Amino acid sequence: MSKHLSEDQITEWLLGASDDFVSRHLEMCDACSAEAERLRNTISCFRDSIHATAQRDHIFWTNQQLAMGQRASARGWYSLRWAWVAAMAMVLIAALFLTRAPNPPQNTATEDADNALLQEVQGDLAREVPKALAPAVLIAEERNEILMNQVARPNEATLKKRRQMK
Amino acid sequence: MAQNEEAAVLIPIQEKAGLGTSALDDFTPLVQSHQQRIYRVLLGMVRDPDAAETLTQECFLKAYQKRASFRGAASAGVWLLKIAVNLARDHRRSRLREFWHRLSSSFEHVAELEQRLPDPHASQERVLLGREAVATVWSAVEKLSPQQRAIFILRFVEEMSLEEIAEVTSLKVGTVKTHLFRAVRAIRQRLKGGGVRE
Repeated sequence: MSKHLSEDQITEWLLGASDDFVSRHLEMCDACSAEAERLRNTISCFRDSIHATAQRDHIFWTNQQLAMGQRASARGWYSLRWAWVAAMAMVLIAALFLTRAPNPPQNTATEDADNALLQEVQGDLAREVPKALAPAVLIAEERNEILMNQVARPNEATLKKRRQMK
Repeated sequence: MAQNEEAAVLIPIQEKAGLGTSALDDFTPLVQSHQQRIYRVLLGMVRDPDAAETLTQECFLKAYQKRASFRGAASAGVWLLKIAVNLARDHRRSRLREFWHRLSSSFEHVAELEQRLPDPHASQERVLLGREAVATVWSAVEKLSPQQRAIFILRFVEEMSLEEIAEVTSLKVGTVKTHLFRAVRAIRQRLKGGGVRE
């Protein structure tokens, strides 16, 4: 036989997807048949090695089932424990918020008082006369005003005196 | 276990929403009927008996926890294989695990897997040739992408049909066939390059 099967044709045969031509060729061609069989045997050896390794005794499988049961139960408790932890954390956070809630208004009041004091100090600094001398300044201003009035408009007694002198 | 029987087992378990032991006990028959196959597929995927054992437990635990999501459209076997393949893929993705896997499995487990041959009465030469070929296939399978590896294992180790593999991997039959074709071609090249004697 002059022309042998290609690698792809042998692969197709191995996958069970080959056509009649490939099957007929394999029946007649010893070289291709040997090549295909060699590939099939190698893969069979591979399969058998896995099957042989996976062939475990009854104790192995029973232990596996027990371990699975234990892990499933442990996971149940584990998730339950985490739920507890989450709940406790939520309670703690809520407690923190509740205890800290009145603080912000207190802080605002203090801030307002500080601002008022600052304004007061600034006001004091802006005065021409110290705050303690403010009444004296008022008295002096009133006195000056009276004197000015007297100079501008003399009363009846003053006018009478001026006439007698003349 | 037939598909109808599996659904009959799973649906009452779903109804028991709590984590009661009765629901777990009801799940046991499903574990018993599928654990060997799941272990085998995982062994082929991760190439490490210890990891395969842990992942098998993980697979059934996941199935138990997600039992409410089982619709019954596919068989429980396909559903479990889907979980197993995803777990194996995630396991391989972890670079750290990959490192430990290479460090540990390359000595003991791989040797153990390669030594296991079906016919202990075969001639010495044939046994050696078989071991060499199996080792070459293992190393070629290692080089495949996780998806191709899963498809290869399901086809040639579990002897599943292309349609069943498509269901497990959520791929189209044509895509499965393409992956399988590429996987076999890669293995053949490896066998030729690896110097497996005829």
